[in-house]
Amino acid sequence: MQLVEKIIKGERAAIAKAITLVESSRENDKKESRKLISELLNKPGKSIRVGFSGPPGVGKSTFIESFGRYLVEKNYKLGILAIDPSSQITGGSILGDKTRMIEISKNPNTFIRSTPSRGSLGGISIGTREASIILDAAGYDFIFIETVGVGQSEIMATNLVDIFSLIVGPGSGDELQGIKKGITEYADIFIVNKNDGDLKSEASKTASDYKSAISYYKKSNDTADKEVLLVSAIEQTGMEKVIETIKNIVSQNKKNKNFDERRAKQFNYWIEEEVREIIQFNIQKKIKADGSISKFSQKVMDGKIQMFEAIEAITKNLQSK
Amino acid sequence: MKTNNSDNYTKWQKSFERETKIDLNEASSETDEGIEIKPVYTKADIENLSFVDNDSLPGQLPYTRGPKASMYTNRPWTIRQYAGFSTAEESNDFYKKNLKSGQKGLSVAFDLPTHRGYDSDDDLVMGDVGKAGVAIDTVEDMKILFNDIPLDQMSVSMTMNGAVLPVLSSFIVAGEEQNVNKNLLSGTIQNDILKEFMVRNTYIYPPDPSMKIVADIIEFTSKEMPKFNSISISGYHMQEAGADNVLELAYTLADGMEYVRAALSKGLDIDDFAPRLSFFFAIGTDFFMEIAKLRAARTLWYKIMKDFGAKNEKSMILRTHCQTSGVSLTEKDPYNNIIRTSYEALSAILGGTQSLHTNSFDEAIALPTDESARIARNTQLILQNETGVTNTVDPLAGSYFIESLTDELSKKAWEIIEEIESLGGMTKAVKAGVPKLKIEESATKKQAKVDSGSRVVVGVNKFKNPKEPKVDVRVIDNNKVRDDQIKKINDIKASRDQKAVDESLAKLVNAAKEDSNLLACSIDAIKKRATVGEVSKALEQVYGRHFATSLSVSGVYGKHFEGDEDFMNVTKKVNIFEEENGRRPRVLVVKMGQDGHDRGAKIVATSFADMGFDVDMGPLFQSPKDVAKDAIENDVHAIGVSTLAAGHKTLVPELMKSLKEIDPKSKIIVFVGGVIPEQDYDFLYKNNISAIFGPGSNIIESAEKVIDLISDKIHKNN
Ligand code: B12
Ligand SMILES: Nc1nc2c(ncn2[C@@H]2O[C@H](COP(=O)(O)OP(=O)(O)OP(=O)(O)O)[C@@H](O)[C@H]2O)c(=O)[nH]1
Ligand SMILES: [Mg+2]
Repeated sequence: MQLVEKIIKGERAAIAKAITLVESSRENDKKESRKLISELLNKPGKSIRVGFSGPPGVGKSTFIESFGRYLVEKNYKLGILAIDPSSQITGGSILGDKTRMIEISKNPNTFIRSTPSRGSLGGISIGTREASIILDAAGYDFIFIETVGVGQSEIMATNLVDIFSLIVGPGSGDELQGIKKGITEYADIFIVNKNDGDLKSEASKTASDYKSAISYYKKSNDTADKEVLLVSAIEQTGMEKVIETIKNIVSQNKKNKNFDERRAKQFNYWIEEEVREIIQFNIQKKIKADGSISKFSQKVMDGKIQMFEAIEAITKNLQSK
Repeated sequence: MKTNNSDNYTKWQKSFERETKIDLNEASSETDEGIEIKPVYTKADIENLSFVDNDSLPGQLPYTRGPKASMYTNRPWTIRQYAGFSTAEESNDFYKKNLKSGQKGLSVAFDLPTHRGYDSDDDLVMGDVGKAGVAIDTVEDMKILFNDIPLDQMSVSMTMNGAVLPVLSSFIVAGEEQNVNKNLLSGTIQNDILKEFMVRNTYIYPPDPSMKIVADIIEFTSKEMPKFNSISISGYHMQEAGADNVLELAYTLADGMEYVRAALSKGLDIDDFAPRLSFFFAIGTDFFMEIAKLRAARTLWYKIMKDFGAKNEKSMILRTHCQTSGVSLTEKDPYNNIIRTSYEALSAILGGTQSLHTNSFDEAIALPTDESARIARNTQLILQNETGVTNTVDPLAGSYFIESLTDELSKKAWEIIEEIESLGGMTKAVKAGVPKLKIEESATKKQAKVDSGSRVVVGVNKFKNPKEPKVDVRVIDNNKVRDDQIKKINDIKASRDQKAVDESLAKLVNAAKEDSNLLACSIDAIKKRATVGEVSKALEQVYGRHFATSLSVSGVYGKHFEGDEDFMNVTKKVNIFEEENGRRPRVLVVKMGQDGHDRGAKIVATSFADMGFDVDMGPLFQSPKDVAKDAIENDVHAIGVSTLAAGHKTLVPELMKSLKEIDPKSKIIVFVGGVIPEQDYDFLYKNNISAIFGPGSNIIESAEKVIDLISDKIHKNN
């Protein structure tokens, strides 16, 4: 497949087209997409995938711009997948992430793709995982995934990334009580942003709130420590600590096999998900073609048979096909 | 609402209802501001007003009837036409011709590179040099600009905000080198940075240091330049960006309060600087509303300044310049614009403006030609000399309608002002982006009204001219201007004392770090022949350059079209497209170069999204290269370039080239919207542009065309 070679060579247009393919809702594309991804999986790169999640407006995009600038200056190649929450009633959306990533989007060592979330689960859009495989094969050192939606953060954390970080704002420590459990469990790094100007003391306080919250968390010897970091995306402070932390967690997790185990689990889950989707798709097709549901439901309505009998009959019928 | 219970009124009401067959309660209309306009007003409407004092006279508090007792009976308003293009030499020529033909004051329009603090030789401004204003790189250019114009006699207004330090410095040094001391210079520097962040988009530094610069200039001029207005607090640009009159009025006065506070924080006494604060409003097509707005502005400012503790009467009087509305003018059937501008001008005069700019009929096509500028100027000369409007001060005073409208507008604006104050003032509000968003929402509503036909624009959505006239346009060869400017810059750089320049710039940087007054240091650097760009860059080292994050309204356009057939037709096409292609049509809307006109781009983006498109919104000031990278990475179907500041002939071909450079097989289609003279259509089509959407384009029709073009392209490729 020519596309694979082009991706591996890092051709921008080919990477972009491939991401379109894996995001497509067209059946044909889905098949092609599976083929493409299978091939790319044979040619893995060395990317570290980092998730950045957090409530709207905490500065995720600004942080990625700022941290990204820091990284590209050090010659890292950066792939960014921004899942934009701004879906509208009519289904269209305005993707405005680029207005917050002005400097890095100019840099030749970045690839930035925005995707409308379309209200899908956990703020993750269809194809995000596949897109990160494409960027991995294309040779990006880091893949950053930006999503909103703290609520479903575990979905991203457990399924998509090697490191999951939660960005929070000054003063958010109060909310910690309610959401503590899920977050402390899944996040590897807590980044308290907006540590600047008038907000500094509030930010420090929030950081210590988070520190004490994670100290309750049972610490097993073989996992890397969770970290709480203070940054200002606008003033670009605290960035060296973030990269240091990411590197530490990666190397520690690699040493104790945690890293690979996490990826293995993710594969496991992915395959299960795909299998489920295919079966579901097939069944749906059968249901459509078969048409017995409406027949049986009419019979139920007319009092000719009981509902559970109908269900059993339909199921049997469909399974035998 | 006040009611009138007199017998006469009851009789009138009966007659009215008989004639119209409409219940009087239902007969009112509503303005964009949400103000109810009744079919008739009576004495009852002006009893117990909240802000207006019916007994006050012109020149008396609260100054509703005018800042001066005699107004135009003593001296008519100043005809001050805003102009500038190409090089200083050419603009100087133009100014001198205009002054000979009856213009009284000058008003300089700078080009966008100058506004944004870039020299003409900067790579970032390739398409913009001399295009939308005059290019000023050094004090030598400024001297040429005022060649043979004695600066101790001519009042000069300068629209400059971002690069205000080097440009005001150049003006002061140009005066000095004409042997005119700065204390004799009269005129106005716009120096209103808050509205730049909101709507005008020629900021350079972040809000806080920008506010410091504003305060520095107020401080310096209050001490050294007694005849010079230190600021022109501008609502004009807000209305042009889409604000209704209440928003324009409220935000402008709230900005004014913020500047007063900034100056006070320098330890100045309010009466030392407040008399030199001036204002600037737009005058749109809502005839009576605009008159009421100027009267309300004066009334409210009086109250505001009294509350600040001003003692000097002059501190409490709002003096204003006005400009007729450019956005009310159309590309289609352009001679209609002469008529629109005349009514707007009359509105400004009846409202009591101190000076006025009237727009040319080719406003929506290009910068004015000598001929169109002449007609625009004559509009005012005719008003002054032939109509008798100067013979009576505030002739509409006592009109039930005008007085009641003035009060109503004041009340509405005051509510917003109080809201902003309670949130901590305009700087904070601007940083949060709320006023900008409110203005965009208002702009989107206006667009929806025109596109749906519920607002008539003659010659655009009704009464179209079957035979559009051909009009001449002013053509500026930006490459030539750029070459000329670069040559001048190089000559100056070769002949100046480089060491002195370096030292003066280092001093400036230090002053910024130490937080001392920057204007004095900047004057020194300019005197040593540092360029506008060098001075701006020096400060950028300390303050950084500001990049705006942009929010978008959503659902506003679509809401107006609920159930509309044409609208649904497009959404249906979008849905079919999604089914066929596995994703929605995806369009990148961009602004390139230094062009900061974002009203159209923002409206188009939000409207397209409401119709179901996925719209990528690029930031301002992108280079064609950045746009190409962005477009290709996001694999968009199309790029929509919104271009209003005449950079298209340089920037669009550059974009086409950049696309091919990244992806030789790129199938992305490119279309262009904005101010494009018809003379340039061929050129753009030859550069493979798929469609052009000029001013007045109906967005629903545009969207349909875009989705059709995208579909065609896909089918052709298959
Ligand atoms: C409003 C306006 C302003 C506002 C801008 C507010 C804002 N945030 O946008 C203010 C007052 C701030 C302003 C300032 C200036 N302006 Co001005 N401005 C205008 C004006 C009057 C209207 C533009 C507008 O917004 N129209 C309403 C919108 C909705 O229409 P539109 O943008 O044309 O979009 C429609 C179509 O064109 C099309 N479209 C546009 N883009 C796209 C994109 C896509 C994808 C699609 C499908 C369609 C599409 O669809 C839209 C809907 O119908 C025009 C003249 C005119 N009447 O056109 C001058 C004009 C553009 N300005 C001009 C100038 C010179 C300036 C200044 C540079 C002056 C100076 N020297 O200081 C400044 C600097 C501004 C800057 N930073 O760039 C000149 C440009 C000269 C030229 N092209 O040769 C013009 C043409 C006036 C003139 N004749 O002198 N301006
Ligand atoms: N003071 C301060 N403000 C910041 C900082 N980072 C971001 N902001 C501001 O916070 C606002 C939101 O920033 P974004 O980067 O758009 O936030 P986001 O989390 O990506 O937002 P969504 O994508 O809409 O969920 C902007 O106005 C930023 O200027 C910071 O470090 N300090
Ligand atoms: Mg974001």
